[in-house]
Amino acid sequence: MSENVIQTQGLTVYYGKHRGILDVNLLVEKGEVFGFLGPNGAGKTTTQRVLLDVIRPTSGKATIFGMDCREQGVKIRKRVGYLPGELALYAGMKASEFFKMYEYLRAGNGTKGYWRELSQRLNLDTGRKIREFSRGNKQTVGVVAAFMSRPDLLILDEPTGGLDPLVQQTVLEMVREAKADGRTVFFSSHILSEVQAVCDRVGIIRDGQLIETKRVEELVGQRMKRMSLVFPELPPNGAFDLDGVTELSRGDQRLTLEVSANLPQVLETAARYAVEDIETHSVSLEEIFLAYYGKENGGSNG
Amino acid sequence: MVRLIWQELKFRRNGIIGWGIGLCWLPLVYIGIYPSVAEEMAGLADLEIYQAMGISINTFEDWIGSILFLFVPLLLSVYALINGTGTLAGEEEDGRLEMIVTLPLERWQIVTAKAVALSIATFLILLIVSLVSAVVFLSIESQIETEVMALEITTAMLATWPLIFAMAMLSLFLAAFSSRRRVAAMIATAVLLIGYFGSNLASQVSSLEALEPLFLFTYLDSSRNGLIEGQQTGDVLVLLGVGLVSFALAVYFFIQRNLTVGAWPWQRAQINSPKQAG
Repeated sequence: MSENVIQTQGLTVYYGKHRGILDVNLLVEKGEVFGFLGPNGAGKTTTQRVLLDVIRPTSGKATIFGMDCREQGVKIRKRVGYLPGELALYAGMKASEFFKMYEYLRAGNGTKGYWRELSQRLNLDTGRKIREFSRGNKQTVGVVAAFMSRPDLLILDEPTGGLDPLVQQTVLEMVREAKADGRTVFFSSHILSEVQAVCDRVGIIRDGQLIETKRVEELVGQRMKRMSLVFPELPPNGAFDLDGVTELSRGDQRLTLEVSANLPQVLETAARYAVEDIETHSVSLEEIFLAYYGKENGGSNG
Repeated sequence: MVRLIWQELKFRRNGIIGWGIGLCWLPLVYIGIYPSVAEEMAGLADLEIYQAMGISINTFEDWIGSILFLFVPLLLSVYALINGTGTLAGEEEDGRLEMIVTLPLERWQIVTAKAVALSIATFLILLIVSLVSAVVFLSIESQIETEVMALEITTAMLATWPLIFAMAMLSLFLAAFSSRRRVAAMIATAVLLIGYFGSNLASQVSSLEALEPLFLFTYLDSSRNGLIEGQQTGDVLVLLGVGLVSFALAVYFFIQRNLTVGAWPWQRAQINSPKQAG
């Protein structure tokens, strides 16, 4: 039986009158990589901060490893590595000093000096002051800090932001290795190719609400097709009024449809109106997510 | 928590050295030059500007009491103010606090460690200045007429620490409450300046006498009495009390509120207790 590492029930945060997150019910199982996706301002960072007890919920409850995030925050954080989205470091310290401080404050858990191995792997010069680093190198410092205690749970807020492609790949490898070790990773990202590459499941949050949780292969499997049909004379409006079919545009002779179901019926109908040409292409993962982001009231809130 | 205190002290190492050396100029100049200006100073003793600033310069004891034992704690209060407001609100504003509060530490431990480190830092700076004052005094002792001894100067200087402690904790509380460094620093600066000038004015204007207990500097005796007989126990207790209450409030507000949001108290989320939240 699978074990829940993260569980939230009706988690709601209001900042005064402004909505942070609303009634978020989330389950992340042990050993999985869970991608948390949504446009800016959707509530990803708020959710992560509630999990780490940086922000307190207005209502609802969050648990990690079965422990309440507010009441047992210290016990939880001993087992969690965190990379914030807005990473701020002690600029005057050398990276090595920062890691030693972090190791010292975590009071050690048998992983002493592991930061050296990670830094080497990520090509980070730990002898330099953090203020001298590029944005990418600062982000690498944050990645090392999150992984250096080999935590049971990694909460990563856009971990590859600003990293060069080679380091990005290494970080994704580290995520896969954490999963292979039976550890759990909860990470938000805007880069959908990396979500597809490392995540088992994704949760999509929009306007503070979790609108979908799916396995990545389900999302990919339900990929829509975009069809462009050319007719001698356009079929009447409503001719393709079928479940899973949306008419996107209508030209002189060309009709563009988005099809996620009922493909045989679409082809039958097209044949009935003497279709002359059909072009199809699969909708990308980005387009699927954009469709989610924009559902109902047409788009993200920025 | 000892680890965090140690780390906080390491962060403050350069500040302690810098402020320690910087403030040593006061005893070097004001004690060092006294033998050459003593006579002229005595002639200026009745100037109203000195009285308004709480400065008395009739004798050596008056002179170092009203200059050193007034300006050293005043300037060190500025250090306490800058660091007290910067240590929580400053770190929260620039995002560094998030890296600390997500470590396996209780919030009260974080505030306490910062408060202890700040208190130690101010004491160490004061210790440096008081030792240098004693050394400078020994070098001019034979040239002046005075009843004080080097040890009295050192202990009298150290006895001003409760005022600095009160100011440091007050700044820490304002930072923990407001989360905005600029606002916390503005209020703390107002408290400091009003505390200083208010106390001096209230001691001279009879209609303001009733307000005197409200000003922090009322509880610092920078006259020759303070130097010879030490600070009044009641005054020391008031200053320590202000410091401890401010510290307790800092802990309370820091534990209660959302971090990293930077909102005013009335804009913050209504937070349920864990039991209610469930």
